[in-house]
Amino acid sequence: MLVIKELQVSFGELIVLKGINLELKKGKVLAVVGESGAGKTTLGLSIMGLSPGKCAGQILFKGKDILALSEEERRLIRGKEIAMVFQNVEDALHPLYPVVDQVMEALLIHGIKDKKAAQRKAMDLLKAFGLSEERTHFFPHQLSGGEKQRVLLAMALANEPEVLILDEPTASLDAITRAEIIKLLKKVIRDKMVLLITHDLSVAAKLAHRVAVLYGGRVVESGATQNIFTFPRHPYTRGLLRSYPNMTTVKDLQGIPGPPYKPVDGCPFHPRCTQRVELCFREVPELKSLGDRYLACHRGGIIPLLEIKALSKSFNGVRAVREVELTLYEGETLALVGESGSGKTTLALTIMGLLPPDKGEIWLEGQKVLLRDKGFYQRVQMIFQNPKESLSHRMNVLELVKEPLDVQGWGSEEEKLERVRKVLEEVELPADDFFLRKYPHELSGGEAQRVAIARALVLDPKLLIADEPTSALDASIQAKILKLLLSLQEKRGLAMLFITHDIALARKVSDRLAVMKDGCIVEEGPASEVITHPKHPYTRTLLRLAADLKEEISISSMDA
Amino acid sequence: MENNVDMKNKVVCKVARYNNVVNYIVTFFIILTLNFFLPRLMPGDPLQAIYGDDALIAMTPELKAELIQRFALDKPLGEQFVAYLRALFRGDLGYSYYYHAQVVSVVLGYLPWTLLLSGLALVLSTLTGFILGVEAGFRRGQGLDKLLLTTLMLVNGFPDFFVGILFLLLFSVVWGLFPLGGSLTPYASLKGFDLMLDILHHLALPLLTLVVVRCVNIFLLTRSSMVTTLGAGFILTARAKGCKDIRVRYHHAGRHSLLPVVTAAGLHLTHLITGTLFVEVVFSYPGLGSLLYNALMVRDYPVIQGVLLILTAAVLIINLMLDLLYLKVDPRINYAR
Amino acid sequence: MHVDYWQEIREDRLGRIGLYLILLLALLAALAPFLAPYPPEARVGAAFSPPSSRHWLGTNDVGQDIWSCLLYGARTSLVVGCGAGLLAGTISVLVGTSSALVGGFYDSLCMRVVDALLVIPPVLLAILVGAYFKPHLLTLVLLLAAFLWPGGARIIRAEALSLKEKKSVAAARTFGAGSLYIMARHIVPDLGPVWLAVMIQDARRAIFMEAGLSFLGVCDPTLHSWGRMMQQALEFTYLEVWKWWLLPPGLALSLTVAALSFLSFALERILNPRLRGEREDAGH
Repeated sequence: MLVIKELQVSFGELIVLKGINLELKKGKVLAVVGESGAGKTTLGLSIMGLSPGKCAGQILFKGKDILALSEEERRLIRGKEIAMVFQNVEDALHPLYPVVDQVMEALLIHGIKDKKAAQRKAMDLLKAFGLSEERTHFFPHQLSGGEKQRVLLAMALANEPEVLILDEPTASLDAITRAEIIKLLKKVIRDKMVLLITHDLSVAAKLAHRVAVLYGGRVVESGATQNIFTFPRHPYTRGLLRSYPNMTTVKDLQGIPGPPYKPVDGCPFHPRCTQRVELCFREVPELKSLGDRYLACHRGGIIPLLEIKALSKSFNGVRAVREVELTLYEGETLALVGESGSGKTTLALTIMGLLPPDKGEIWLEGQKVLLRDKGFYQRVQMIFQNPKESLSHRMNVLELVKEPLDVQGWGSEEEKLERVRKVLEEVELPADDFFLRKYPHELSGGEAQRVAIARALVLDPKLLIADEPTSALDASIQAKILKLLLSLQEKRGLAMLFITHDIALARKVSDRLAVMKDGCIVEEGPASEVITHPKHPYTRTLLRLAADLKEEISISSMDA
Repeated sequence: MENNVDMKNKVVCKVARYNNVVNYIVTFFIILTLNFFLPRLMPGDPLQAIYGDDALIAMTPELKAELIQRFALDKPLGEQFVAYLRALFRGDLGYSYYYHAQVVSVVLGYLPWTLLLSGLALVLSTLTGFILGVEAGFRRGQGLDKLLLTTLMLVNGFPDFFVGILFLLLFSVVWGLFPLGGSLTPYASLKGFDLMLDILHHLALPLLTLVVVRCVNIFLLTRSSMVTTLGAGFILTARAKGCKDIRVRYHHAGRHSLLPVVTAAGLHLTHLITGTLFVEVVFSYPGLGSLLYNALMVRDYPVIQGVLLILTAAVLIINLMLDLLYLKVDPRINYAR
Repeated sequence: MHVDYWQEIREDRLGRIGLYLILLLALLAALAPFLAPYPPEARVGAAFSPPSSRHWLGTNDVGQDIWSCLLYGARTSLVVGCGAGLLAGTISVLVGTSSALVGGFYDSLCMRVVDALLVIPPVLLAILVGAYFKPHLLTLVLLLAAFLWPGGARIIRAEALSLKEKKSVAAARTFGAGSLYIMARHIVPDLGPVWLAVMIQDARRAIFMEAGLSFLGVCDPTLHSWGRMMQQALEFTYLEVWKWWLLPPGLALSLTVAALSFLSFALERILNPRLRGEREDAGH
């Protein structure tokens, strides 16, 4: 086992890694993921004792602390018990020696005395890694990228080390070569302790059992790979997964707001976090165990914003909403898909307090909602299907958008005007006087809906309930409104309950998807899971009948 | 497909090598032409121009006639040139009136000492410069590096012959540790080991001068090359393998830093040869330098031309060999054309 | 990238030292007729007299005042150095730029000639030609320039080539500008710093070579030169006289060459951004 305890690495004033606690176990791969500058490579170099910075803390291996060893002792371990495979940069291999000599060198340094034996072993090694005999005598510039990576791998594994550190082993390789290298890696690392350093989540998913997410030099989340990737609990991890193009995620790409990492007090992520509180500015959160993973967040991860517990509502004997259990997390979109009459709108109205529920509870930000008071409405807002209807025809744009502020008694007239202008800019509408004086009938469908959204945003809510917000609009306008909603989510950490009958649309905007039929939630889960592996027959039907651009029509079958 | 690329590269490479050879031949030809035309550009009778006034006085009429005939000095320029070239290829560099001998034999008599001095100086200066450069580059910015950099930059300003003079003054005149000149103690009739020691004793100061002065350029070159090389990826790879520091420094970084040294070796050689000339004069070392100096004093033009021609030819040949050496030293060249 | 070269040289410690030394030398050389108590060739004292208030550096073997000789030697070195440096630099620029701009056969031809000349040690050539002509000041300048110009030609050509690719040159061509105009208006001005570096290098080598040639006795004996002083003084090492006859010209020569080296090194570091980080290391 290799244990890293409270590792801190600094370069003069700059602290690159802080409080790192990780474990490597035999036969298991731990991936360390993060963006550039997070300190991943420094971590790998520190284990080897090659980091040029100042290291504090302990790295325990075989009963000894590597950081406390002398340079000579560390040198003996390097390449023999702990080996590192570097990223295949142009000059990772020495340009003036044939590759077989370079692999030989690894053997000769650590024990093999006979040159001929070493050469034979080096050649066998290279051949086992896929190089032809002839090419083993070539110089690095004569080999392809994939071949060079194989040489680097062979060099690291020559002395059969117990610990292997892989630094971006597949970067700068084309897709096919990448797949081959991954296959090769899976074969050779079987019984070793492996640390995989990468920014490529797909490689981490394929090779690693556990993953640790690094941000600002700290581990923010760690646990079993599939668990973390399917149910990320740290806002940064979620942001990372949302911004990484891959074939699994169905939602459109979203970024993480704010500028890249700069050293700050308190939680390193707080400048870009949409659910931060005052504590986050002051104290660094500790990495704590949360059952199935470790998480470093003062709020215990992405907080559940809205929790609906056993909600029921009936009209005239028709049970419109039946014992619905739903949870909506901060900053994410939960799409509620169902046909007309499934009860989805009733649910929305019940949540908003426009219809009283028969049974059940609604919790907001961890507290039971008893009254719908101003506080509630400041945090939860709704936009309706037909904007022209939801906007009073008597009021102009300014009055419409200002209304919530008036009702809540917020700020002076100037402040309100300023707020209105700002929020109109956010929804990409003109904020000049000319526009402010327009009336709803003078606006187009798209503009009207944007005004409605602006009105919903003016109180700075955390949750937006959108009931078929675009079905009354043309397709191209619809696309722009959706993009707007997604970017608002990205910027403000806005959570959305997106209600729609169109599962193809839901697919593009949701992190999690819930399917509703006859008042019940028949399926719920991460959007990528529900779309690719639907469990309920009804869901399967919906998917089969969803809009596509193919010629054939699928025959529907009656569902249960 | 790769085979075609290989083939094409090999052809390009061969052409490149021939290119170089042609260059050198052209250069040599320029020198020959210069040698030929210079005396004939001077006013007066060609014999006088070639041999100088003093020589002419000392020559017998028979000698004059023979020389005129041998070098076709009474014929038109074109024929003279041909005669000149023919004589050259026969190995006939002319006749020195001062030494009363063929120039060739005179020059060959002085050549061995120069070879000894410059040969050793070449090896030692390159080695010293390289090792110092590697060590300084490795410790860039630290004590040793700063020290070496400043001292050697200072030394670089001193012309070779002045350094030689300084050493001569300090070690021979003031402290009397080394002889004042020459390559052997005259009339000593030493043999074997004693002879060798004597030679080394006389060789020490001129050799030291040349090594000190000439190692600076190699040092600077190696050092800056080391600084760049040490940032390369393969250095990190080497250390990750567990290489010892020394091995990283020399086998990995040093070997890579060697390339610009080989490239610059031609220039280095040029400066070394001119340096040797001057140092021999300062220390009265009986090599080509002293020969040239004496010839200049008495204006023995054939000897002057002969020495310079031999030296130039030597420089060209060694440069050619260095070009071929570089192709071996850097395997990328075969591809990167 | 616009770099203020004057400021950079001034900021670089070595560069500053070099600059001041050269200026001091120029001053001494220019004022030589006024600063020298005696004309250098006049025999004004007893031979080999040690330094005194009348002869600050004593006298040489024929009774000439050494200090005066030194001052006039400075003149020679500077004139030769600057003259040859300027001339060689200009020829380099002309050949290098035209070669880069015209290209084709002319370019290959020029570069062939340059390569051919580069291989030959210039000192040897200078000795060869000088032996016949016994050059005095002007001839010497011409001679040295003729052998020094190939050194900078390649560098200038490379720089001109990269300047040629600049978009501003392409724009000028779209106005209908010809090669000569482009060379004069766009390329040559931007070559300034490289030209300066090449000239300083050439001047340094010229001073070196002049001293060497005089030391060997190739030049006209009436030329006042530090090299010649050293050649003469070397004969008398068995006397005390070397202290004030042999050392001063040697030191003066070394200082001059070193000053130019510093200047050149400072410029090189300014021109090559990769070495910039080193300025703090060695400029202390």
